[in-house]
Amino acid sequence: MAKNKLDWQTGDANDGRAPLSLENVHVAYNTRRGKVRAIRGVTLDLHAGESLALIGESGSGKSTLGLAIVRLLPDTAETAPGVITYRRNGREVDVLQLKPGELREFRWSECAMVFQAALNAFNPVLKVWAQALDTAKAHGWHDKDAVRRRLVELLEFVQLDPKRVIDAYPHELSGGMRQRVLIALSLLLNPQILILDEPTTALDIITQRTIIKLLRELKEDQGFTMIFISHDLAIAAELADRVATMYAGRVVELGASDDIFYRPRHPYTLGLIRAVPTVTGGFEQLFSIPGSPPDLVDLPKGCKFHPRCAFATERCKQEEPELEEVGPGHTAACWHWHEVEAELRRNPLHRGALNLTDVIAVDVEVA
Amino acid sequence: MTTTATTSEPFSSAQAASTPTPLRRITQNFYVRRIAKALFTIWIVITIIFFLIRLLPGNPVEQYIARLIETQGMDYENARSQAAALFAIDLDAPLWKQYFDYLVNLLQGNLGVSLTSPGTSVASIIARFLPWTLFSVGIGLILSFTVGILLGLMMAYRREGVLDHTLTIFASVVSSIPNYLIGILLVVWLGVQWKVLPIAQMRGTMSPGVTPSFSLAFLQDALFHAFLPITTYVLTTMGTWMLSMKGSTVGTLGEDFVTVARARGLKDWRITTAYVGRNAALPLFTQLTIAIGFVVGGSFLIETLFQYQGIGYVLSGAIAQRDYPVMQGVFLVITVSVILANLLADFLYGWLDPRIKVG
Ligand SMILES: Nc1ncnc2c1ncn2[C@@H]1O[C@H](COP(=O)(O)OP(=O)(O)O)[C@@H](O)[C@H]1O
Ligand code: SF4
Ligand SMILES: [Mg+2]
Repeated sequence: MAKNKLDWQTGDANDGRAPLSLENVHVAYNTRRGKVRAIRGVTLDLHAGESLALIGESGSGKSTLGLAIVRLLPDTAETAPGVITYRRNGREVDVLQLKPGELREFRWSECAMVFQAALNAFNPVLKVWAQALDTAKAHGWHDKDAVRRRLVELLEFVQLDPKRVIDAYPHELSGGMRQRVLIALSLLLNPQILILDEPTTALDIITQRTIIKLLRELKEDQGFTMIFISHDLAIAAELADRVATMYAGRVVELGASDDIFYRPRHPYTLGLIRAVPTVTGGFEQLFSIPGSPPDLVDLPKGCKFHPRCAFATERCKQEEPELEEVGPGHTAACWHWHEVEAELRRNPLHRGALNLTDVIAVDVEVA
Repeated sequence: MTTTATTSEPFSSAQAASTPTPLRRITQNFYVRRIAKALFTIWIVITIIFFLIRLLPGNPVEQYIARLIETQGMDYENARSQAAALFAIDLDAPLWKQYFDYLVNLLQGNLGVSLTSPGTSVASIIARFLPWTLFSVGIGLILSFTVGILLGLMMAYRREGVLDHTLTIFASVVSSIPNYLIGILLVVWLGVQWKVLPIAQMRGTMSPGVTPSFSLAFLQDALFHAFLPITTYVLTTMGTWMLSMKGSTVGTLGEDFVTVARARGLKDWRITTAYVGRNAALPLFTQLTIAIGFVVGGSFLIETLFQYQGIGYVLSGAIAQRDYPVMQGVFLVITVSVILANLLADFLYGWLDPRIKVG
């Protein structure tokens, strides 16, 4: 693996098989109140070179799922049952069964995770360079010159001045710069998969745009495989090839970005889209999903969305629906997805979340 | 974004702040500022001592003059000139001149002459006894700080386990016992009851016939004699380090950068030392500066108890015999060494935490 070249193209060394497959993954946090069932059976294939967005309200389990994949959940979390299969070059492993040493090597060099724009993702007492070198060395890469060349290249890619950043301490950089350094660092070892958990939250709008532009380049020019977690539909729409809607620890709808944003079949996805404030279509009523997400310790029977769902019937209160095909490459977990389709025919979505991002982009250029 | 902004606006305030004048660069330098602060503190202490000894009613000079008149039947003039010689001051000069001479004397290391052993300069007494205190207190503090930090780190990693509970009880108990009591208990248990230590032979700073030299034999002998004071200093301070370090480590373990370091696949050892340990130990350096003062102050009781001839031992003797010049000298030296130790701790802190050198 030539780490000093910009060859982060994943390629298709898995004979078309997904680099990452989740099968019936469960996560529960043991708390004083009881078991918080944060992930309840997620099955999902991540395709090579695609960018998959996980959307859903806060608390729906997006971060938990991301952390489960790199096994960074706290000790109070239980991950069983479930299988997370990772494939590279024809070899496959169950991430959940990796031994500590193997897990350590898997992290960052196979699958890197960039966290929410937290202010202290970096050790405050070490320079950026030292932390990059730590990362390289931990994975057996000791050629300092090569690491430095690679880091310089990546910092330039994220539009930072390497001279200024490499020998800086984290506190000498702004929040947006730090987040870009973290993104650069996440590419250092040329991982096959990149997980980004709300990478732009807590950043100002200009910095957000820069980072989104960067991620788009990564996706379009470099063909990176990534999971992009966001509760901001506009950003998800801009970056995702496919979108998975999560609710109460399950994927309730999964499909191509256009299908999800223009032809949603799950009432929850529809609600999320209608809840996006509209800038252009001023006369459309702003809709918000009534109620709040269920208590994960004490979940309602049947479809977990039924207390908040306008389409709910008696059946929904008793039986929980599984994902079923609602179109080509499009699945939804709802007993009444046909009603949603009919409702959309009566009241079409005048604009998808996609339109909104264009507006923001224009705004920024004006300002 | 930020980089282009600064280059296109050469006169922005950010630019101005990042290129200060050479003079400002020096005065804003962390080390320069700390040294200046230390020197200033020393000057304040010196000045206070000057006024306490000379000007307050019932001050040592007057008392000494009164004692000379009383016990030796000297007349006032004679007594006064003898006192002036002993304290190395000219009582007839105007105050500013006295003060100035006093400063010059201090700079030359002239601290006056001992009352009880006439002819012995205070400076020579200090030069003889201070190294032993620096040796024992220094080793004691370094040992307790290092061991305390390592144990605290371990407790945090194994929190709520048997080891954590046992060590927490030990630390709480030991840090609440006064230092002289620990000293007495050491003598009673180790020396008298269990007889594991030859207490009588351990008295003093060296065995008879041994002379200071750079040899292993001398070091061994010095450590043998300093064993009890060092053990006492370690026991009295270690509990605090353990508990502080444990708390600090638990906090640090919850920091994002630790999670990110794990996500980066760093080895556990590297994370524990350079990411968790180093950051968790930082706040303890501020406490170290306070502890230095306490331990040096505490050496007064401990050295007397163990008959360890360091500066604290000299001080207790001087107080008992009202040897004011020696007392003055020792106070001065103790304060100065505490200030210097603080300076050292500050530098260490500045070296370990890049953030505090700003602003
Ligand atoms: N360490 C934890 N202990 C207990 N519950 C947790 C913990 N972390 C997250 N949760 C709970 O798990 C659920 C999912 O959280 P999370 O994965 O962070 O959601 P999201 O990222 O979608 O906002 C939430 O109900 C949250 O309260
Ligand atoms: S299954 Fe029923 S309650 Fe659940 S989303 Fe569909 S219609 Fe609503
Ligand atoms: Mg989250």
